[in-house]
Amino acid sequence: MSEVVWNIGYGHFLVLAAVLFLIGVAGVLVRRNALIMLMAVELMLNAANVTLLTFSRMWGDLSAHTFALIVIAVAAAEASVGLAIVVAVFRGRRNVEVDRLTTLRH
Amino acid sequence: MIRTHAARATVIVALISAVVSLWAPRAYADDPRDRPCQPPSVEKAVRDALPAATVVRCPVLGPESEIVNGVSRPLRSDTDPVTAEAVLPDGRLATVEVVVDDAVKANAARPETATRRVRSITYQHLDLTGSSGKGMALLFWAFALIAVVGALFVISRRNLIAAVMGMVGSFLGIAAIYMMLYAQFLAVIQMLVYAGAIMVLFVFVVMILNRPEDEPVAPSGRAGQVLGGLAILYLVGRLIMMLTHVEPASVEVAMSAPQPAAPMCIEWQRADNGGLTCAQSERPDWGSIKAVGADLFGPGLFPFEAISILLLVAVVGAIAIARPLREERDADGSHDDAHSGGGAA
Repeated sequence: MSEVVWNIGYGHFLVLAAVLFLIGVAGVLVRRNALIMLMAVELMLNAANVTLLTFSRMWGDLSAHTFALIVIAVAAAEASVGLAIVVAVFRGRRNVEVDRLTTLRH
Repeated sequence: MIRTHAARATVIVALISAVVSLWAPRAYADDPRDRPCQPPSVEKAVRDALPAATVVRCPVLGPESEIVNGVSRPLRSDTDPVTAEAVLPDGRLATVEVVVDDAVKANAARPETATRRVRSITYQHLDLTGSSGKGMALLFWAFALIAVVGALFVISRRNLIAAVMGMVGSFLGIAAIYMMLYAQFLAVIQMLVYAGAIMVLFVFVVMILNRPEDEPVAPSGRAGQVLGGLAILYLVGRLIMMLTHVEPASVEVAMSAPQPAAPMCIEWQRADNGGLTCAQSERPDWGSIKAVGADLFGPGLFPFEAISILLLVAVVGAIAIARPLREERDADGSHDDAHSGGGAA
C-alpha cells in the first residue's frame, strides 16, 4: 500500500486521467445545463491530454506533445462554437436546459 | 431537482472510483519499464558499475530484431547488447548498455556462462516519474486532489460561476500534472488557454445567461476577506522581495541576452583504466519550447497548418451563430445590443 502512495509511477498519472475523464462523462450524462455539459467535455479532453503526455514520457516520444497542443487548439475552437450555440439557443428560448430542446424530436 | 442531480452524480462517481481502484494496481504492475533483467548477469554488471543504484530494470526500448545482409534476425538477450536502466539515489536515471565479453562471445555454445561488462552509461534528466521522492509524491497527490475536486465542483454546483471556478482550479491542477510529466511548454499553454481565454469566455456567457433567480452569491464573508487580504499581502511581499534581491552587476549584464544554463554531461564513457570521461554534454530540453517546436514544424507541420484553418472557421462560425437575426434585431433592438457584445466575446 505505501508503495502505491509514495512511489509515483506512470500508472498514477493514467488513473488520474481516467478519473477525470469519467467525472467528465458523469457530468455530460447527469447535468442538463448546456454550459455545464460543455465544461465536462473540456474536462474529458484534458484527461485525454494527460494520458497522451504520460505515454509520451513513458516511451520517450515527443510527438505526443504536438498532438496535445493540437487537442488544446481543437478544444478552444469547440468551446467557442459551443458557447455561440448556447448563446443563440438562449436568445431564442430564454433557457439552456437540454431537456427542453425538443424541437427536432418527433 | 438539482439536488437529485448532484446525488446521482455522486453515486456515479463513487461507482466509477470503485471500478478504477480495482483496475489501478494492475495498471501499476503492467508498467513495461519495470521488467526485470534477463539473464541475471546483466543486472550484476550494472550493479558492479553503479553500486549506488536503487533500482535496476531492463525495459523494452529498442527494436526487437536487426537486419543483417537483408535477413531479419531477432535480437537475443543472452548474446546481444542489452540496454538496462538504473535509478540513482539522487533521482537521476542512467541508461546502461551492457555487452557480452568478446572472448566469451566466441564460445556461443554456452551463452549462459558469458560474463558481461558495461560499455557506456548515459545519464538522463532528473526523472521524477521514474524515481520515488516523498516530496514529489506529496505534490502529485496535492495537485491530483485539486484537479479531481475541481472536476467534482464542475458537475455538482448549481451556481454556474462556482462551476467555472472549479473548472479553472481543475485545469490549474492539470497544468501542474503536465509539469510533472516534463511538459513545461504545454503546462504554460494550458494555463494561458484554459485559465485565461476559455475561463473568460465561459464567464461572459454565464453573465449573458444570468437569470434573476440564480444570482451568484458574493463570496465576501469576513473569513474570505481576511484570506484574500493575506494572499494579496503574500503576493506583494514576494514580489518586493524578488525585486530587491535582483542586483545586476552592470548595465551590460542587465541588458545582455539570457545565457543558457551550464551544460551538463549526459553521456559518460568508461575509459580503459576504469575512469569515467564525459563523452557528450548537452542541456536537457525534453518538453521545452525548442524541442516541441522542432517537432511541430517538422513532422507535425500539416496538422499545425490545418489547425489554423480550423481556428479561422471556428471564429467565423462562432460570430455567425451568435449574431442576432435581422428580424430579431428589428423587433427589440435595445435587448439585442447587449447580446451582440457577448457573441463577439
